Parts: sequence; C-alpha cells; structure tokens
Amino acid sequence: AAATKMAALGGGGTRWRRAWLPALQLLRRGSKAVTRHWKAMHFQRQKLLALTEFVPPRAAVPPRCLPRPAAHTHQEDGLALVLRRRLEETLRGSRMVAVCQYNSMADEDMATLRHYLRKHHIRVEFVLSEVARPVLAQSKYRNLLPLFVCRNVLLVSPETRAREMLRVLKAVPQVNLLGACIDDTILSRQGVENLARLPPLEVSQGQTVAALSLPSSQTSSLLQRGPAHLVALLDEHIRRLREAAGPTEPPPG
Amino acid sequence: PSGPGGVAVPRAGLKKLALPPDYSGITFPEKPKLKFLDKVPAVPKVRREPRRLRDIRGPSQVATDFTQGQYGILALGGGYLHWGHLEMIRLTIGRSMDPKSMFAVWRVPAPSKAVTRKSLGHRMGGGKGPVERYVTPVKSGRLVVEVGGRCEFGEVRPFLTRVAQKLPFPAVAVSRESLAEMRREEEEKRLGNQNPWTFERVVASNMLGMRKYLSPYDLRLKGRYWGKFFLKHRV
Repeated sequence: AAATKMAALGGGGTRWRRAWLPALQLLRRGSKAVTRHWKAMHFQRQKLLALTEFVPPRAAVPPRCLPRPAAHTHQEDGLALVLRRRLEETLRGSRMVAVCQYNSMADEDMATLRHYLRKHHIRVEFVLSEVARPVLAQSKYRNLLPLFVCRNVLLVSPETRAREMLRVLKAVPQVNLLGACIDDTILSRQGVENLARLPPLEVSQGQTVAALSLPSSQTSSLLQRGPAHLVALLDEHIRRLREAAGPTEPPPG
Repeated sequence: PSGPGGVAVPRAGLKKLALPPDYSGITFPEKPKLKFLDKVPAVPKVRREPRRLRDIRGPSQVATDFTQGQYGILALGGGYLHWGHLEMIRLTIGRSMDPKSMFAVWRVPAPSKAVTRKSLGHRMGGGKGPVERYVTPVKSGRLVVEVGGRCEFGEVRPFLTRVAQKLPFPAVAVSRESLAEMRREEEEKRLGNQNPWTFERVVASNMLGMRKYLSPYDLRLKGRYWGKFFLKHRV
C-alpha cells in the first residue's frame, strides 16, 4: 500500500529522491490532530517547546536594591479641603480656643451641652485629627498639637468667658479640658481655672487705676493735712464759742 | 501614630466617598434574559457532514470582542457546546441575574453541526452512524455569553464563574477591562521575551528541519495551540 501511494505521488524513483510527505505516512497510525485527550507530542517538538519558552526580562539592578519610589501622594479630598477651610476660618475669628477630650455621651446630653455653651457664645467643634493637624501646625496654635490625641473637641469663642465654660464643663464628666489658648496665651487646665478666678476686666481696670493713682492721692492728702487740721480746729472753736454764747443770749424775738 | 509612652493611638480617618458608577451609555435589548436555543435546527440536516475538527482548532476569528454587554465568558480552549450546555447556561444565568437591571446576550449560535455516533458494541464498518445530536463548535478566545446592565463585575462574576466551570472547555469570566488587561499582558510578554529563539522564528525559517516534526498549521498557531487546547503559558 505504501509503495502504491508513493508511486501515485512521485511516479518512479526511491523515497530518498523525492520529497517525502510525512503527513500521509504518519496518519496511517495514531489519532487525528484534534483529540479529546492530550495528544503525545513528538520529542523534537517537545524539545523545541522547551527551547522557546518565555524568559522574563531581568533588570540589570534588582528593583529591591534601588531606592523605594516616592509613595503616591493621595489626591486631596474635596471634603477634607472644605473642613480645613472651615477650621481655619473658625480659628481666625476666635479669641478663645479650648481643647477638650471627648468621651462618648448621649446625643441629648450633647445637645444640652451645646445649648448651654451657645448661651455664652461658645461654639463646640468636633475636629478630625487628619484635618486638624496640618491646619494647626501652620497656624499660631502649633504648641497645642500634642493635645490632639484620640477624640477631641474644640470650644471656640470670640469672647473669653472662662468661668462660665468651666462651670458648664464641670457638670459634664465626659468632656475634659486639656488646655486652652486664650488671647494668644497658652494655658493649661490650672491656668484656665486661675483665669476664671480673676475679677472681670472693669473691676481690675478700676483696681489698676486706683493703685496707680494711690501715691498722688496720698501726696495731695499729705499736703492738705496742715490746712485741714487748722480748718478743723477753727470749726471746733467756733462751735464751742457758739455753745458758750448760746445759753446766755436770748433767742432773737 | 504613637502617643506618650509609645502607646499606639487610634485615629479615625476621613471617610473617602467614591462617586457612584456611571451607567449612562447602556441600552437594554427588548428581552433581558437569554433566548431559548433549539436542540435541533428548524430544518434538520439530511446529509451527514464530515467531522471537520478544524472548527475547534486554533484561535477564534469571530466573537472575540464585546458588543453589547460589559461582562462575559471567554473560552480558553476549543470544544463543542450541545443543547444541554446551552440550557444550563440559559437557566443558570436566568436564575442568578436580575432582569430589571441586567441583560444577557448569546454570542454563540444555536447548534447546527450534526454529530454522528455509531451504536455501542459493534465492529468497524457498516457506514457512517446516524446523527446523534447537534452541536456548536467554539474556538479558544471566543465569547460565549455577554452580560451587561446596571451592575458591577463583582455582582456578576460569581455566577459567571460557576457557569464557566461547567463548560466542556476551560473558560473564565471576563469584563471589558479584564479582557483588555489580558491582551495587554500577552502583548507585553511577547515584546519583553528575552529568549532569542521563538517558536515562530524557528518554524518560519525551518531551522534544523523542524517542519518535519511540525504541522503546517503550526506556522499559523505558533506553538500556542495543541489540538483543541490553548497553551496559556506559551508566549
């Protein structure tokens, strides 16, 4: 059968003279090209596949020897920007900034606290450290940064009403005052308490004025002591004379 | 961040809100669910056709890219899908998807190729067997079904992978992005191959008389296909 096939193809001549088509010969035994099972490959083909495998590119310097690439700076969140701007505005327009530690309390208690503080023009601001830290670091309150640990609340106010604030906060055990910056002065908790115990501004102003004017008033009284003494003596004398002349003189008709 | 004494201080970060996905350019077909495909074509074939296994071999030229949907099942090998497979696909996808927000589309035609089979226990000879069933040939790299709509890949992937595992050839659930990523990686691999000897080069120039041991189809298939199998690891 092989011989007839070869004769049909090439006509005469041995196999070595003509091109020998492997396709026909090999198909006499073995399965088709497409099989359900994994067809066994010719060894030469296996060798060729092993030779032509993928070789991944290798960098001349291994990447772990190179410096770490700069961490991808995350995009600025719009919300973070808004919060930061709000915080900056608040800090700019306030004279008193008190930093408190906040422990969780009931909503209605929180609302009551806010109400009482609002009466004294004190605003309660919840701050996120992620937003607050960069803002404070660049503003004049950078020394308050160590106080921003865990959950913090800022009590800001355009007036400095330390006494009322302390009174309200004393009633609330969940909010603890850590420190404050009042009129560009950083105060600790004791400092705030001392500030609260001080008399109000007008009284202290009056006291200062009095203290300042004390030596001059003393000098003036000193100078007037001689004539005042004389005037008092003369008055006393006139009174005695009048008393003496009084009982003897008849009252004028 | 650490507080005083080296104690770790817990810090709550700002919530990063992501924009919801944009489903503006999606048009739904009239019937969201998969159409019923017949077991036997309307005009059954009288003349039994030869086996023609070349419709399984090699990469697919049709239905390789997405048309309507965003997610689909990609065949990574060749094979025949018969009515049982198609029904399984249709019912599983129909059961797992939400017709109000998703739709599914066939990318494979109804079975049209007649496959014969001789009865068991008989010797060779006696002519070609009668037609047993009808199948659709599927080549590797072809999409079988496409799913789309107002849904994310994460919602669709579970049931698509389940369907893909039950198919007679290896298959994987893909999305438009993941398919593009696959193609890009393949291309990168091809370009970044440091091996100076590639199958394509050896076969094209018949180095060492390799074509004696290879098929003429290997010129086209370039060592990535062997029978109906797709060799993913080959470059």
